[in-house]
Amino acid sequence: MAVTPWEDELTRQLQEKFGEQILEFSSYLGQNFLVARPEAVIPILEYLKAEAQFDYLVDVTAVDYPERPERFELVYILYSFERNQRIRIKTRIPEGFRPATAVPVYPTANWLEREVFDMFGIEFQGHPDMRRILLPEDWTGHPLRKDVSILDMDQRWVRQHLGIESGQ
Amino acid sequence: MPDSTFLDATELVLNMGPQHPSTHGVLRVILKLDGEKVIGTECVIGYLHRGIEKIAENRTYAQFAPYVDRMDYVAAVSNGLGYCLAVEKLLGVEVPPRAQAVRVILTELNRIASHLIWLGTHALDVGAITPLFYCMREREEILNIFEKYCGARLTTHAFRIGGLQYETYDTFEQDVRAFCDMFLPKVDEYEELLTGNRIWIGRLRNVGILTAEECKAYGVTGPLLRAAGVKWDLRKAQPYSGYEQYDFEIPTGTIGDSYDRYLVRIQEMRQSVRIIRQALDGLPGGPIMGKVPKVIKPPVGEVYVSIEAPKGELGYYIVSDGSTQPYRVRVRPPSFVNLQALDKMCRGALVADVVVVIGTIDIVLGEVDR
Amino acid sequence: MKQGGALRRFLRKVLFIDLIEGLWVTFRYQQPKYIYTEQYPAERPKIAERYRGAPRLNTNPETGETLCIACNLCALACPENLIVVNSERDEKTRRKVLTTFTYDTSRCMFCGLCEDACPVDALELTQDFELASYSREGAIWDRQMLEEGPRPTKYAY
Repeated sequence: MAVTPWEDELTRQLQEKFGEQILEFSSYLGQNFLVARPEAVIPILEYLKAEAQFDYLVDVTAVDYPERPERFELVYILYSFERNQRIRIKTRIPEGFRPATAVPVYPTANWLEREVFDMFGIEFQGHPDMRRILLPEDWTGHPLRKDVSILDMDQRWVRQHLGIESGQ
Repeated sequence: MPDSTFLDATELVLNMGPQHPSTHGVLRVILKLDGEKVIGTECVIGYLHRGIEKIAENRTYAQFAPYVDRMDYVAAVSNGLGYCLAVEKLLGVEVPPRAQAVRVILTELNRIASHLIWLGTHALDVGAITPLFYCMREREEILNIFEKYCGARLTTHAFRIGGLQYETYDTFEQDVRAFCDMFLPKVDEYEELLTGNRIWIGRLRNVGILTAEECKAYGVTGPLLRAAGVKWDLRKAQPYSGYEQYDFEIPTGTIGDSYDRYLVRIQEMRQSVRIIRQALDGLPGGPIMGKVPKVIKPPVGEVYVSIEAPKGELGYYIVSDGSTQPYRVRVRPPSFVNLQALDKMCRGALVADVVVVIGTIDIVLGEVDR
Repeated sequence: MKQGGALRRFLRKVLFIDLIEGLWVTFRYQQPKYIYTEQYPAERPKIAERYRGAPRLNTNPETGETLCIACNLCALACPENLIVVNSERDEKTRRKVLTTFTYDTSRCMFCGLCEDACPVDALELTQDFELASYSREGAIWDRQMLEEGPRPTKYAY
């Protein structure tokens, strides 16, 4: 199954309101998503919450593509109780870009964005409490980036404590 | 005389956990108190972080399946179901009806087991010791069925991508039916112990109220949302694994306090028994494994699939790059998101109520920290 | 909670009916037939047939030869990479012959993927659940231990 264009009442409204800011409306395996410019994400979330009853932010997450110029893909998953519909909003941001926080729109984004920061090092602008959440404060690096290997910790530990190279 | 003494301080910071019996694992809550009144909380989590999402990127699709059991370890079957459904959706695999029905039976049994653990430990936190023994006794029967079916009790690894690995054993239907018949009177017993009990009501009524609007704003799902009066259950809203065939009610509460959540979960156990009985009655024959290639290599793409786990909406967002290993697996854990509302629920309450609120959210730290 | 009139509720409260109801439930379980204790280790508990416990490498009961064909599928299926299979080629029959087989039970999570992968039912997870050992090395099982199979502990009582 291939990615197909997504067109309905909602996409027309969004197209009218945001125009060039939204790059793509698509659907894959029956799941709708749109790709927007990073600065348009929060206005889109606000619009969807206020005008289209998307009142539940399911998840905020990111995917790392180190070979792309815009390295990270931020994914917001929204759900509307009224419409029983789920959509994804994706945006691509380069390394070091600080996207705006979604906490004023959806309070639930607080911990979810902290987790994205913890795992990927994406700092959210205007977030009330931008700290690590799952890993200890003194941790170095962001483990879900693709350039961090799963064996790093083990090798470092073995080198430090046993003075040999890890066999893993 | 010093200018100020510690008695001048109006706020007291109290550390609760990580080694605290009523935080259900290694949750550390920092409480800011004014006398005994809570004026702010902060959760420190991550003590149980094992990097499940990173492990997923280094395993094949089939190899990752046992790991998801270790997130919400009291509802391992639900975790496995969500993961299998997500990969099946990516692959476009059709699961045979028999496998779907057996999956429903096991998942609902697991929901009962999870709610029993919640009921027992929550009652223990509040001060009622007896329900814990009774809940564990009934849970034992469920775990025995799991053990006979798939060979493990807690981290079951019961489902495989595309269907089931194991055919049901000879007395499976009898065992499950016997459990259902035995279990419903036991639920009445729990209610006799707790529902009318004045201490139980006194501790739970009007504690940790979360209205429907607040639930939606904080992304809180599961029994907490239903206790606030929202009739929403993913099994009805977006049915999966053949849930549309079964007739069951979504129990709801009225004001969304801890007592409503207790009533909702008790009713959910009864509804689960109802679903199990229907699934047993209409248990179809046929194959238990769909047409899955030997080497699982989903096409490039991404998918988000969520199920109604005992704690709320459990979602899997899987990105495939066309290789044998997932490019990214994101788990949307219900406990993690629900725990975020702890601060909202605890403000203005007493320290003893914090214990009740933590219990009533029904967190499993394995899932919060992953 | 049962709904009743104000008098009824008052009486229930004054006479502690709600608490007595609960106590009656606990009292009913006083009967010895409800006792629910397993006398482990004096009596071995009943383990389900499909239980996934200690691993065993099956041999042909008549000849004592191993069933393993050294295909390495279990090692590939294992999520924790804890199985190491070594083999050498028999010059006469041109077949792979198993030399050593190592199974690290300390890292095993008993998911059963290795026994599913085995094409000849040589590797099997058995019903033995007593896996404790005094050292970490003791948790790494070699071919001999795996072929002998689990030896359930005999407790002196």
